Amino acid sequence: MTILRIIWREWKRILVLPAHCLVLLVIPPLLFFLYAFIYDEQQADHLPVAVWDEDHSAVSRQFTFLLGQVATIQLSRQVSSLGELQDLVLKGEIMGAIHFPQHMERDIKSRHPVNVVVYTNAAAVVPAKLIYKEAAQVIITAGSGVILQKFVKTGMDKGKALALVQPIALVPYTLYNPTYNYQQYLVPGLITVGLQMIMIMVSVLLLNYETTTQSREELWRLSKGSASTIIAGKTLSHLVVAWLNFILVAYVIFPYFQLGLPIANGKFFVLYTFLSLACIGIGCMLSALFTDTMLATDVALFYTSPAFVFSGFTFPRWAMPWYDQYYANIMPYTHFLDGFFKIYYMDLPLHYARTEMGYLLLFIAITFSIAILLYQQQINRYRLVIQ
Amino acid sequence: MLSNNTIFTVWQLTKREAARIGSDHSLLLTLLIAPLLYAFFYGSIYTYKEEEGVQLAIVDDDRTSLSRLLAQQIGYAQVTAVFMVPTIEDAKEAMYQGQCQGFLYIEKGLEQRVKTLRQAHVVVALNAARFLPSSDLLLSINQTCLTIGAGVRLQYLQKSEGMNTGASMQEVMPVNLDYRPLFNSRSSYGAFLLPGLLALILQQTLLIGLSASVSAERKKNRVGTWMATARYSLSAALWGKGLFYILLYAVYAYFFMTVNYTLLELPMRGNGWHLTGAFALFILTLIPMAQWIGSLFKDPLLNVQFMAFSTYPFFLITGYTFPLQNIPQPLQWLSALLPTTPFINMYQSIVQAGGTLFQNGYHFIHLLLLLILYTAAALYRLERISRI
Repeated sequence: MTILRIIWREWKRILVLPAHCLVLLVIPPLLFFLYAFIYDEQQADHLPVAVWDEDHSAVSRQFTFLLGQVATIQLSRQVSSLGELQDLVLKGEIMGAIHFPQHMERDIKSRHPVNVVVYTNAAAVVPAKLIYKEAAQVIITAGSGVILQKFVKTGMDKGKALALVQPIALVPYTLYNPTYNYQQYLVPGLITVGLQMIMIMVSVLLLNYETTTQSREELWRLSKGSASTIIAGKTLSHLVVAWLNFILVAYVIFPYFQLGLPIANGKFFVLYTFLSLACIGIGCMLSALFTDTMLATDVALFYTSPAFVFSGFTFPRWAMPWYDQYYANIMPYTHFLDGFFKIYYMDLPLHYARTEMGYLLLFIAITFSIAILLYQQQINRYRLVIQ
Repeated sequence: MLSNNTIFTVWQLTKREAARIGSDHSLLLTLLIAPLLYAFFYGSIYTYKEEEGVQLAIVDDDRTSLSRLLAQQIGYAQVTAVFMVPTIEDAKEAMYQGQCQGFLYIEKGLEQRVKTLRQAHVVVALNAARFLPSSDLLLSINQTCLTIGAGVRLQYLQKSEGMNTGASMQEVMPVNLDYRPLFNSRSSYGAFLLPGLLALILQQTLLIGLSASVSAERKKNRVGTWMATARYSLSAALWGKGLFYILLYAVYAYFFMTVNYTLLELPMRGNGWHLTGAFALFILTLIPMAQWIGSLFKDPLLNVQFMAFSTYPFFLITGYTFPLQNIPQPLQWLSALLPTTPFINMYQSIVQAGGTLFQNGYHFIHLLLLLILYTAAALYRLERISRI
């Protein structure tokens, strides 16, 4: 019964205290909607690219026409020199350019190889890679067409000519996100890292904020001086709120923006519950460790904010130095993400995430044990002083 | 010209702010420890700047010299690390377990087909749940297949057409693609992201620290003494409190651009004075913005909580990682209200591309307008809270 009273009491605190209510109930819908909305266009397209055509031939016009058909690229202007090209890049007016050299058509016809140059502003690596990928595809295809015509003109059979143009054809199967949709890729990651931050930022206030609200003694009386009862009650109440945020994400935000895999929601829920408990455990531990709520919040912020970058979501962990890989491992989000990729993005059975769930379980066991130990000491010290 | 009295008042406020920070553990952590630790911490992730050794499983059902050559050439690329598996099922399982980011299947009869001038096929399945490894793998494998294809044509032209090496080399690739990535020659992810991250660290720690300091004034009922020290001049109160942060963050900016850039081997292609001008205007704009935000909260805890969740959205809507033109219009308007948006464009242009302030005149004026806007907003709010 005591634990139920603590759960009920904590729910009331969540609704009444702005430091809880703001983070747990106000920020999640606003933040998650914003994340999904940012990537509503899903793809980066119409990137401004210039054409630097020094050939002015039928061939260069044909190449330009083909490039103009690609959605990613918008041939926005003509330039006439490298200096002009660089100046426009520096001003941010173009993100790349295609250069057709002088006598291109004549050289192709007279068996002299030509170089078509693709310039990109690689200081902005994302649009640069997209422009390169699309432009390269067009130029390689057009170049293959030139080779094909040459072989066919010699009287070669078309099938053989085609085989010589591309002796080894690469057939790519891009799984799980075939169109490289930014919204599908980034938004679930951003939202789950946001959930992790929300849970830790509030959990760091679970124990020490009782002093600020001058309700600590009342709580200790209610729990009959048991740190484990207090922490268990508060954990369960916050777990329920975490589940409410899960419903918001999986059944409101994701369907509204047509994100994620509804079929994998059950597996997502199981893994998310492990993450929630690990986050609440870390929060409780910090809350028992730091009596200053501001300092505890800053420490939580300092600990949680690098999670997205360190987890390997955007830049793989194996490409990081070893010490950063160790740091990544002491954040629960890293293990959640590894499992999330498997059971959600790839829709694999839950057992593929058993290692990750094992790590999260380790977080839960260690952090709650330390939190209970530290908080019980605080309660015991207080009892001694009272006696 | 500023009078001696004004200078004295501003100096008194600066000393007051320094003393407050010194006695507040939270502000100390946010303003003195976090910027430096974050800069080294985040920076170290991209020490190698590019990803290398992305694992790829290969199933070779052909087992000929050509298929071995293909597997070998794919493995030689810096970005890939290959390992052989006997069956497609094993390859799939390795991908499911996260041991590789994709697998390549070489069909039986590949060499035979190529030798008899019939097109052969190689299948690659990539795990695009993660963007970077899969796109890098595809580019690398594609390049290898094209190179080997060119080699096959070369041999055909020499053997069947009787061409000499020079003539066949000219014939084999009539149209070549020459890729020239400007201002980041290796298209490295680290070289792209790090400058933006360093700017974001400066901005967010300054916004969080200074806004928390202002809301703490409200919580502890010290707005009166703040204004009294400023001799009831709102602008003295604003810039006097801000001066400490201007000096501190100017030092941080200089430190990042010298020490961090050297350690991380990041190029600084622009003119130092132009960059100083951009940084000065940026920091000056953040000072009133932070104080305006801080004045909206009565509790520094709520302020920090709110600001903590602003970091990612602020970064994502600047257009640094996703082109601004592809972000919905309302968010583009919101983005235009953030100092980060014009600054990061200017900063990227000067630092990475060697641009000048004149080439970034539009962004400079944009930032100047934001300075005026946030100064007006902060003065209005200071006037309101000083009356309570």
